[in-house]
Amino acid sequence: MNKILEQLAAAAAAPGASAVAWKQATGGKVVGSFPMHFPAEAVHAAGALPMILQEAEDPITVGHASIYPFYCGYTRSLVDQAAKGDLGFVDAIMFGDHCVQVLSAADMMRLRMPETKVHFYQLIPSLRDAWSEENAVRILRRLIEGLEETLGVTVTEEALHASIALFNENRQLIRNLYAQRRAGTVSLSSSEMQHIVKSSMVMDKATHNRMLRELTAQLQGTGDGNVGKVPLYLSGHLCQAPKLEVLDLIEQCGVTVVDDDLYHGYRYVSTDVDTRGDPVLALARWYIGRNWGAPCPTRIDPKTDWDEWLLKAVGACGAQGMIVLMAKFCEPHYFYYPRIKKTFESNGMPHLLVETEHEMVAAGNIRTRVESFVEMIKRRNEVNTAAMA
Amino acid sequence: MNTSTIEEPVVKRSNRLKATKLNNKMVTDYWEDLFKAKENGKLVCWYEGVAINPILQAADIAWCHGEAAAALMAARNEEGPAQEAAEAAGYDRELCSYARTHIGCGILSQRSTEEAKNIMLPSDPAERRSLASRIPVPDMIISAYPFCSTGQQWDDMIYRQFGKKVPVFNISLPWIWGNKPSAKYMSGPEYRESVDFLVQQLRGCISFIEGITGKPFDHDKLREIMGFIKKAAEIKIEAMRLCNAKPSPANFFEWTNSIAPVNFLPGNQDIVDYFTIKRDEIQDRVNNGIGSVPVEKYRLFWDGIMNWNKIGWLSDKMAGYDACMVAGRYTHMGFWHETEVIDLSDPLDGMAQNYLTCPISISAPQMIDKVIEHCEFYDIDGLVLHGARTCRAFSYPQFMLAEAVTKRLGIQTCMFEGDMVDESYYKDEVVNSRVEAMLEAIEARRQRNRF
Repeated sequence: MNKILEQLAAAAAAPGASAVAWKQATGGKVVGSFPMHFPAEAVHAAGALPMILQEAEDPITVGHASIYPFYCGYTRSLVDQAAKGDLGFVDAIMFGDHCVQVLSAADMMRLRMPETKVHFYQLIPSLRDAWSEENAVRILRRLIEGLEETLGVTVTEEALHASIALFNENRQLIRNLYAQRRAGTVSLSSSEMQHIVKSSMVMDKATHNRMLRELTAQLQGTGDGNVGKVPLYLSGHLCQAPKLEVLDLIEQCGVTVVDDDLYHGYRYVSTDVDTRGDPVLALARWYIGRNWGAPCPTRIDPKTDWDEWLLKAVGACGAQGMIVLMAKFCEPHYFYYPRIKKTFESNGMPHLLVETEHEMVAAGNIRTRVESFVEMIKRRNEVNTAAMA
Repeated sequence: MNTSTIEEPVVKRSNRLKATKLNNKMVTDYWEDLFKAKENGKLVCWYEGVAINPILQAADIAWCHGEAAAALMAARNEEGPAQEAAEAAGYDRELCSYARTHIGCGILSQRSTEEAKNIMLPSDPAERRSLASRIPVPDMIISAYPFCSTGQQWDDMIYRQFGKKVPVFNISLPWIWGNKPSAKYMSGPEYRESVDFLVQQLRGCISFIEGITGKPFDHDKLREIMGFIKKAAEIKIEAMRLCNAKPSPANFFEWTNSIAPVNFLPGNQDIVDYFTIKRDEIQDRVNNGIGSVPVEKYRLFWDGIMNWNKIGWLSDKMAGYDACMVAGRYTHMGFWHETEVIDLSDPLDGMAQNYLTCPISISAPQMIDKVIEHCEFYDIDGLVLHGARTCRAFSYPQFMLAEAVTKRLGIQTCMFEGDMVDESYYKDEVVNSRVEAMLEAIEARRQRNRF
């Protein structure tokens, strides 16, 4: 693997160690948060390292004494990490997303980490109401006040503007890699793409940007034009990163993943923040506007249809089908999936549902299903080619 | 098991209140009225979560509360067709069973849209005529769910189920978390800001309703309705608190039966009369030393939402153990439980405060304190935690709660899994073994204390 990718993969695999190293080097503080819509720019502007807390690979053990098994793997893992004392490097946790399982996990973590401030700034989930923007602005101002009080700093408009610009650059660099991957001009597997995005969630942004610039230069000309394999789109896996083994397995079945809307993927970088005017208002508008950058089933937006958006996205990237990665017990995804299924079926676009868990699911089972799916698409292509001839 | 002290569950019946029959009649009448709402020229609103029905009643709109509909079906063993319809449409069984059942109602009750034509309906004509399919289709949807994000998503799915043609209004309820030391139960600047935001949204909701009915909202009527509700709730609380008598004259299961009048039945003199009759009956029992179970050896507290298809069955099961389930988080910490803040001259603020202090609107630290207050007041020996499989909102704090009551009160706890309206998650033998083990531990402690 490319050396920069190896470094990004290491940070993604061990975010705690990466954060501890950053703290030792800078003397700064780490503020943890949860997916999927937290404006980490505000934390950065306060001089701390924002970090999206990640699902750990460890088996869940002591966490079982705090959380029922019918919660998603991400929330069970977070509670388990808190109960084990693995999050001691986090100086505070601040979050704003409104998902019943994330909120539940946060409340349990608050109890298991009594020395750590765990603050909630509830971002309005309903995005099209008369007060959505006004409320988002008010809550973001409360978040900034909380950061100032907790970290003992003052967050200036200038600092917010600088952080927004830095984060925009990071998103643009990653989106640029996405564009080149879609075009087949760079070669990046799904695992490698996850290393890039996941490391962005946990690393210092300026360092990450520098590494991405170098990586982008090094990757030029590595693409093979996405020929010879079935191009597919990956969707779903809100909040937690899909297991690398699952991503590798999919690509081993004769697949090239050309695009995705994974949170540890395009969803994370879909939308930039306006660099002009009041930065808090800009962050509020970013929060609301992200839903048409990549629709999210945890948001309430009557005018946006994730299923239709996905259908267009799959078509736009040249994918011949979509694999839906669904984390077990993810209620927002469970709610929306029937609509996705119906839209894809009625439009003749193949898709395959793969449910995942924190514990590794039977790889052979997934392999068989993906291979069958790929064979079905190939057969369909042959029939279509024959019909056209 | 120590059979010398804990008897095998034998056939014993809990001593049901006569007033319950009156409640059942009011509930039946309400649903029959709702089923005929369209024939009577009324608009129908579907909603979930907090009790916004007084606002709808003031606007002369009929209403269907999603959880109430699902609970009714489960209590009458008629939830099957709606749940099967939702499952056939692709909704996973791990989703909130209230939501699945209510969405299933939507599927079964709509006939005219393309959505319905593409969904396989039950083949049995009798099932097509089930309770679920009798619920009239909505003319509007109002979403107002406390804490649980699933509530808003469920409403969003109903909105989409009806082809995005039914107007929807979203009320986003803040969750009471408490970032600052000033944040206490029902006080502090953060709480006040949450109340104000909710009042703003309730006013918006009234404007939405005015836009649909084409009539100015009748605020006097809302004041009058809230007057009945406040009075009924005060009497209910008074009656509940009489249950700190020993033996307890009523039990948790009786209170689950009394949720309807303070959750979705019309606010009128009938609900005041109902709770007056119930309170008087309870007072009479207290005066005569009559308990809710034939023998009361153990006083228990129920945490979690109700198994609606198990109410009578669980009530008798506990009676068989000589145990009285005296109170519960679900029944005693919600449903207009903070009556003193309802100012009848301007009731929206007080309504908002009741919505924001229901047992899932407040996060664990405040919620646990309130449960402990109740356990102390009712002199509870043991806490039964019903982990509702598909209600993550109610189940999540139960490990913390169990720890807290054990540490702070020294009382025993037991847990079992079940569900609100999906009976398949409930295991009878698990309930038996867990409850028996807890009662045995209570008994063992009593024996130790005697020596």
